[in-house]
Amino acid sequence: MTLRQKIESNGFIVCGEITPPQSCDGDVLRARAKYFKGYVDAVNITDNQTAIVRLSSIASARILLDEGIEPIMQMTCRDRNRLAMQSDLLGAAALGIHNVLCLTGDYQTFGDQPEARGVFDLDSIQLITTVATMNNGHLLSGFEMKKAPGFLIGAAANPFAEPLEMRLIRLHKKIVAGAHFIQTQPVFDPEKFARWMERVVDLGLHEKVAILAGVMPVRSAKTLLWMKERVPGMRVRDEYIDRMNHARDPEAEGVAMAVETIQALRATRGVRGIHLMPLNWESITPTILNDAGISVAQ
Amino acid sequence: MGFSEAQVSTSQKRVKPGKPPWPHDGKAMSKRPIPARERKFSRVLLFFEDIVKVPLFKCQRCGECILSSTAFICSQNCPKRMRNGPCGGTGENGSCEVFPDRQCVWYRIYFRSRLLHRISLLYKFNRMHNWSLEGTSSWLNVLKKRIAPPIWLVRHDVQKVKDIIADDAATEN
Repeated sequence: MTLRQKIESNGFIVCGEITPPQSCDGDVLRARAKYFKGYVDAVNITDNQTAIVRLSSIASARILLDEGIEPIMQMTCRDRNRLAMQSDLLGAAALGIHNVLCLTGDYQTFGDQPEARGVFDLDSIQLITTVATMNNGHLLSGFEMKKAPGFLIGAAANPFAEPLEMRLIRLHKKIVAGAHFIQTQPVFDPEKFARWMERVVDLGLHEKVAILAGVMPVRSAKTLLWMKERVPGMRVRDEYIDRMNHARDPEAEGVAMAVETIQALRATRGVRGIHLMPLNWESITPTILNDAGISVAQ
Repeated sequence: MGFSEAQVSTSQKRVKPGKPPWPHDGKAMSKRPIPARERKFSRVLLFFEDIVKVPLFKCQRCGECILSSTAFICSQNCPKRMRNGPCGGTGENGSCEVFPDRQCVWYRIYFRSRLLHRISLLYKFNRMHNWSLEGTSSWLNVLKKRIAPPIWLVRHDVQKVKDIIADDAATEN
């Protein structure tokens, strides 16, 4: 079942995430892909995450496709202007990639080349409209294409940033612009997430778009602290850090935490699925999904 | 939604009118750079525009002014130059992800909009920036209908927000 069919049906959606290597070694991707095959519906391919140069997301997505996994290609506005974005989207469609996640992108100063020029020609909402325009058979110039690409459009949402209402306005705009599914930041603050979800359900936005909540299994308290301090827009409650600090076996505790989060999210009204982001710990995916009792019918 | 006709009008002949619809605008208004004969006049007007806008709003002279829909705070002070709301990196107290000592521009815009009862304008889709208008007078651009005119008055803001949401629900079905 493709991701599009899964969104149209009522199944529980599971997305994974793979970070491409900082080299041209496609075997690294193939090895990581192994852990996701048969366990998830689709796998995100990050696009130069945290502004660090990596194997391109289009090429990585194609490699995953060859491995029999449906990729979700991420596309950020940091590295390309509107011309490059449209041509890359056409290229991706020609290679058989049909899912794209539109992001604004981390600012270049977060990466290892802070001296780079950020482009930010479009913002993520304008990128969504670009993809929607192309789905309608037009380029931004107005040129009518002979064949429309037909992308499934994804977007991101941050339920933890303030003010809540501004976040909902932005979510609303993304939906009007043409997003089909939404992936959120990893949930390390379930109460705040529940409050956001309640408002989303109140506005009826969960019926127009499939909301996939982010889950991130962590291996150590250090990772959590690093995310809290260094990753923009992340909220991590101190309870989680304490729990990891006091755990006898941090890895097992990390798995337990992820499983608990998944079960809590599954019970939340309006959540259509999860987006699992095992940062450099892809091998844990089958364990977590088995423990949480989630199996994806192929 | 409450948008002026001009914003969604077609100006390029290659596109069938009304297709693709708002907000998938490939063609709204003129996207050409300003003609050479207007450049000098634009520069003169920009001089006066800067006197007003730079000290008051920290204007970045984008030439495509959306101050009226951002509660009179220039959104182009954002390092990512976001035109449609904040990015996902806003910190705990509304700090900017790039310069943590600064406040997120959109965080300020939100609270000012609430104060001025202009929240409904935050739902407005600001179209892709025409970079060829960078450093030109937006007053002249409004007169020449290259960009949308400012929206001065907003009536019944809360009702309007409700209408916008209801409209979207209606178009879905």
